[in-house]
Amino acid sequence: MKTFLNAIGNIFRQPVTTKYPFEPTFKPDDYRGLIGFEESLCIWCRRCEAVCPPGAIVFSQDMEGKQTYHFNRAVCIYCGECVRACPKEGALFQTAEPAPCALKAENINNGWNKLYDDALASREAYAAEKKRRAAAEKTAATTNPIKPAASEGE
Amino acid sequence: MSKQYEIPIGAQHISLLEPLHFKFTTENEKVVRTDANVYYVHRGIEKACCTKFKFRQVSFVVGRVCGLCSISHTTAYSQVAEKLVKIEIPKRAKYLRMLVIELDRIHSHLLCLSHVAENSGFEALFMKTMQYREFAMELLEAVCGNRIQYDFSIVGGVARDLKPLVANSIIARLKTFMPQLDELVDIYSNNWTLSLKNKGAGVITKETAMRLNVVGPFARSAGLAIDVRNDTEDLLPWKEVGFEMITDTAGDVYARNMVRLRELYVSIRIIQNVINGLPEGELVTETKAFPDGEAVVRLEAPRGELFYYAKGNKTQMLERLKIKAPTFSNIAGMVEAFEGNEYGSVPAIIASYDPCLSCTAR
Amino acid sequence: MNKIETNLATLRDDIRSFYNPAMHHFIVMNAVDLGQQMEVQWFFSNYAPPGDITTFYALVNPDEMIPSIREIVPSAWVAEAELVDLMNISIENTSKGFVLEPDFESGPLRKGK
Repeated sequence: MKTFLNAIGNIFRQPVTTKYPFEPTFKPDDYRGLIGFEESLCIWCRRCEAVCPPGAIVFSQDMEGKQTYHFNRAVCIYCGECVRACPKEGALFQTAEPAPCALKAENINNGWNKLYDDALASREAYAAEKKRRAAAEKTAATTNPIKPAASEGE
Repeated sequence: MSKQYEIPIGAQHISLLEPLHFKFTTENEKVVRTDANVYYVHRGIEKACCTKFKFRQVSFVVGRVCGLCSISHTTAYSQVAEKLVKIEIPKRAKYLRMLVIELDRIHSHLLCLSHVAENSGFEALFMKTMQYREFAMELLEAVCGNRIQYDFSIVGGVARDLKPLVANSIIARLKTFMPQLDELVDIYSNNWTLSLKNKGAGVITKETAMRLNVVGPFARSAGLAIDVRNDTEDLLPWKEVGFEMITDTAGDVYARNMVRLRELYVSIRIIQNVINGLPEGELVTETKAFPDGEAVVRLEAPRGELFYYAKGNKTQMLERLKIKAPTFSNIAGMVEAFEGNEYGSVPAIIASYDPCLSCTAR
Repeated sequence: MNKIETNLATLRDDIRSFYNPAMHHFIVMNAVDLGQQMEVQWFFSNYAPPGDITTFYALVNPDEMIPSIREIVPSAWVAEAELVDLMNISIENTSKGFVLEPDFESGPLRKGK
């Protein structure tokens, strides 16, 4: 009898599920969302890149030594380890905003792999360039005051 | 001798949640022999942990071993790494770890119970249990910032603090959950239809459980009192927060349901005690040391004893990491407990083992 | 962790004299590649009173045949089958193919793989 009444009552009861695309689902205030980056505060220590478990952060470098921050939201696991490692308050921070879906046009996997390798290569190229320039400056500094420069270059 | 039939289940099957293959040899509907193949999802995580990731990053990698007991894996790894770098973590971090482990146990046990109901043919109870389970997922999301893959434990402590507002909501939601849990206990223990499928099915005796070294609720339902929370006091102070061993004697699917339901009461009490007695202090112990030597850690995951072995060599990379998941210990017992049962009750028995094969195969 | 050294000749006797199903819980087997040799380990814990983990270990050459302990501990076959595949060692009465496909490159957890 009780079961029967329950069954009749259930006809008038509201569903317990949420109609997700039309209604928002539960989301806490400090949801682990996208990682934000404030370029003006960054001290370019690259510590976030070193600690990131999946390798979702990489810095590329141009020939003048200027670094650029790259972040891939599809590789990121939103653990917040980069934010904890960041020595400069406010340069990296975790927002509560969920990551948007990736589109095919973004080429988010293969494109990222290429970008990652290119970024590492660009840093190596800059390091080599820096070394070359330092060597050139050194030779210039040592050769200029003294006139004969033929044997010094070796 | 009557005619024997071989019936395969899996690796893809409606009544299986996991990539697991059983081959049953049946005789007049009775299972006489079982062969199991459990390694469909070997991902080489142990190898990756020793070659690709630094030891601080590994705690996030092992969190991906299993979706349901993610926190148990991260905590066990963090503990073993803390032993290797020889640090003691703050007491507040220990309490917060216990809080998340117990919240995780609530949702994992309710998931298992709901699947037992579903595989026994009681779909309405499956939906009801899942409905009641949702609060645990939302609380975990509020505490850790994510519904699954909590990434809560890190080497040296925990990653996030518990906000007072969240702590209050946990206490309030647990209070509303108590009558719901009483209702579930009533249904699972008194429903006649469910008892037909569950009572006397998949029986394992205490002697068999001992002989085959079974762990978790599977062993406790047979009367074998094995619970790591009872053993280890140094890493997480379980007894301080009101842990109590739950055992049953029958060893069938029904007893496993009852053990899981009664453990939920213990979990709720532990969570309440943790929140009420949460010590103040730091969250993380910082260290710059590198792992050295070898260490082992045992931790009670929702499915049973989780075991971690790690060896370091004073570099960023570990030399060896061995993960023993609870289901790994239960395979031998699982195969044996099918014997003599009707083939029709096999799906319910599989669900009552609560197998987690992605843990086992890693 | 309480470590007890043993060797392949006396391993089975050592474990038989130690192991009591009503008192000890066999956890798992493990092997560590030390370069030239392998360290194979057997982990046991106590039911009551809860105590330390007892580890038997033996240093073996990778091509040596390791005795199986499944006549003493019946559930050890799972751990043995896993080690045979992942570490490419030989254990009595244990064939390859439980964890990995038989044609898979053997011993992925060995060094240099």
